[in-house]
Amino acid sequence: MQPPGAGFQRITLPGVKHLVAIASGKGGVGKSTVATNLALALHMHGRRVGLMDADIYGPSIPIMMGVTHVDPRTTPFPIERFGLKLMSMGFVVDANQAAILRGPMIHKYLTAFLTQISWGELDFLLVDMPPGTGDAQLSMAQTAPVSGVVTVVTPQEVSLTVARRGIEMFRQVKIPVLGIVENMSYFVGDDGKRYEIFRHGGGQKLAADTGVPFLGEIPIDPRVAECSDDGDPIVHKYPDSEVAKAYLALASRVAEELQQAPPTPELPGLKL
Amino acid sequence: MSAPASENARPMALSKEEPDRLVIKWSDGHRSIYTWEHLRDNCPCAGCRGEFGQPPDPFRILKPSELSPRPPLAPVEIAPVGNYAYKIVWNDGHDTGLFTLEYLRQLCQCSICLGK
Repeated sequence: MQPPGAGFQRITLPGVKHLVAIASGKGGVGKSTVATNLALALHMHGRRVGLMDADIYGPSIPIMMGVTHVDPRTTPFPIERFGLKLMSMGFVVDANQAAILRGPMIHKYLTAFLTQISWGELDFLLVDMPPGTGDAQLSMAQTAPVSGVVTVVTPQEVSLTVARRGIEMFRQVKIPVLGIVENMSYFVGDDGKRYEIFRHGGGQKLAADTGVPFLGEIPIDPRVAECSDDGDPIVHKYPDSEVAKAYLALASRVAEELQQAPPTPELPGLKL
Repeated sequence: MSAPASENARPMALSKEEPDRLVIKWSDGHRSIYTWEHLRDNCPCAGCRGEFGQPPDPFRILKPSELSPRPPLAPVEIAPVGNYAYKIVWNDGHDTGLFTLEYLRQLCQCSICLGK
């Protein structure tokens, strides 16, 4: 896709240390759930964190963070909640309305979110990507200084085959894939037994096949969905739960991977 | 999934040489050379190559600007696109071709690459 205008103006975010995309080729694997809880876990580690919802058509961050549609004429962005700085299309478009937009408008909104919002000084700006390998992913790859991508999968094959395409896209556009996190990995019942509801080991296998690190497993807990629907993510509401512990470990791992990843220097250009 | 060294090579410097040549120095030590004409002939954009590999529209009507006498074809800018490609802006206004780094390596006209 060719963004409108001169295009490809590289966005600089001087106050943001690491811009991290939370992605997956596949929809429904829990990208937004992982993005919100990972953001909160990073915040609990004492980091300054922003969370930008790049899913323009189907924003989930507002409901998960308990922020409804606001009047953009009177509300300054980003909106702060639980110590995170947030931006989402869902803040400006009412939940009963659809955002009906072609690709170039997606590019316009994403660049506006990145450049026209006062993100300030942040250690991490997480970007919750929509599923797929289309307009939003290309726009980010072409214009934003993305430090790396965290790929979210669920254990079963159908999730992995699509996630593999997503990883391949980021490889082609030369954005580092920091690793794979397996969501909905297993469930521990009241009997203390571990149930692998969506099979097991898929995330690790995909990591081995694609040569990217495996960052961790997030267990299933019905409270994850309850908390997300109530606008108070599980890491914030139940910080002692197994799920929250998994996110805190994931946060440390992501920070470590970013420390180790060599910075990608900008390509040189030539004006004649 | 190990890649050949050249696949991960990055351009370190771009320069113009002679009146009509682009030189790219790569991180693996390779020095690529391209004529303007070669780059334009191999523009990968849909307008030049046809979408999905089909030939361009034979009935396309040229615009007056395309028919009027013009200075010899040359780029005015070779601009990076993210971490993976270059967009070449030509002096006739054409600017839709995105040359990926891999594609630029394939197009190299240095004596080593041409001898392959």
